[in-house]
Amino acid sequence: MHEVSLVQSLLDLIEEQRKIHDFSRVTSITLSFGRLSCVEPQTLGFAFEIQSQSTVAEGAALHFDIQPVVLYCFGCTRDSRIEKFPADCSWCGSPEVVVVEGTEELRLVEMDVE
Amino acid sequence: MVSTIRVVQNILDANERIAANNRTLFDQKNIYVINLMSSPGAGKTTLVEKTIEALRGKYRIAVIEGDIQDTVDADRVAKLGIPAVQINTGGACHIDGNMIQQALSSLDLDRIDLLICENVGNLVCPAEFKVGENAKVMILSTPEGADKPGKYPLMFRESAVMILNKMDLLPYVDFDMAKAKRDALKLNPSLAVFEVSCRTGSGLEGWVRWLGNQIESFKNRGRE
Repeated sequence: MHEVSLVQSLLDLIEEQRKIHDFSRVTSITLSFGRLSCVEPQTLGFAFEIQSQSTVAEGAALHFDIQPVVLYCFGCTRDSRIEKFPADCSWCGSPEVVVVEGTEELRLVEMDVE
Repeated sequence: MVSTIRVVQNILDANERIAANNRTLFDQKNIYVINLMSSPGAGKTTLVEKTIEALRGKYRIAVIEGDIQDTVDADRVAKLGIPAVQINTGGACHIDGNMIQQALSSLDLDRIDLLICENVGNLVCPAEFKVGENAKVMILSTPEGADKPGKYPLMFRESAVMILNKMDLLPYVDFDMAKAKRDALKLNPSLAVFEVSCRTGSGLEGWVRWLGNQIESFKNRGRE
């Protein structure tokens, strides 16, 4: 459900950009977020398709740059890149780890316009 | 002609600006604010009632209740003689900075020390939307299961406090408390954890002490 609010905020940001750069159409949008940030690309894409109708962003292709989850281990002090959370250190197996990357908020990185 | 515009901006920047404005106002008025979040039925309103009972002699408390519809929660709080404002989000799954800003016009901000914003029951979206709070506080109740930090990581990452509620039900539910704590702390090593039963009242003194200390250090900020 929060995808609706996220897309509305995205469209507001695009509108702000349009006032600065004066374009008539957005063809492609790159978004980034951490894998653990609870953003669902498919739902976001669906919401975008509907909410962007009759805006300059209608029909734009969405690209997602999903940041991986990285754990820091207090035991062996190494970082592990993991596919699934919860997980332990992939080097030494210690559960004494902390998530250091992967919860980044949804960001508008760049967009192609014409 | 196609050109690329580099933006690099948080999607929720607009909400964060509103939340920051709320925060400035709360600082001026010396109001300590918590954003209380959990699944539906984890015990948010009961915790609010217990917290009011424990701290009402010391602090002037007000509550903003966020729900998709209905006023049951605000009615419960109002029964205690505490100013309560109900926000109906009309379908939205969280409260945001703007909704809080609008609700503030119904409160006398010169007569509040502690403002509790009870969010919509949901472990996903509320974690993303700041409202101008000093601290996010979340409740995980034992019947929900210990897999929640893995499923809803952002909530645990963003909260300052995790209240493990319904400890009185522990003998009857399969709740792996060690796992719940371990996974939550992996996401947020500074998370303060309190094991309580809002129904029996057990364990609440730790939470009440924590909150009282936070309010005191907030009131004394900049006064070294």
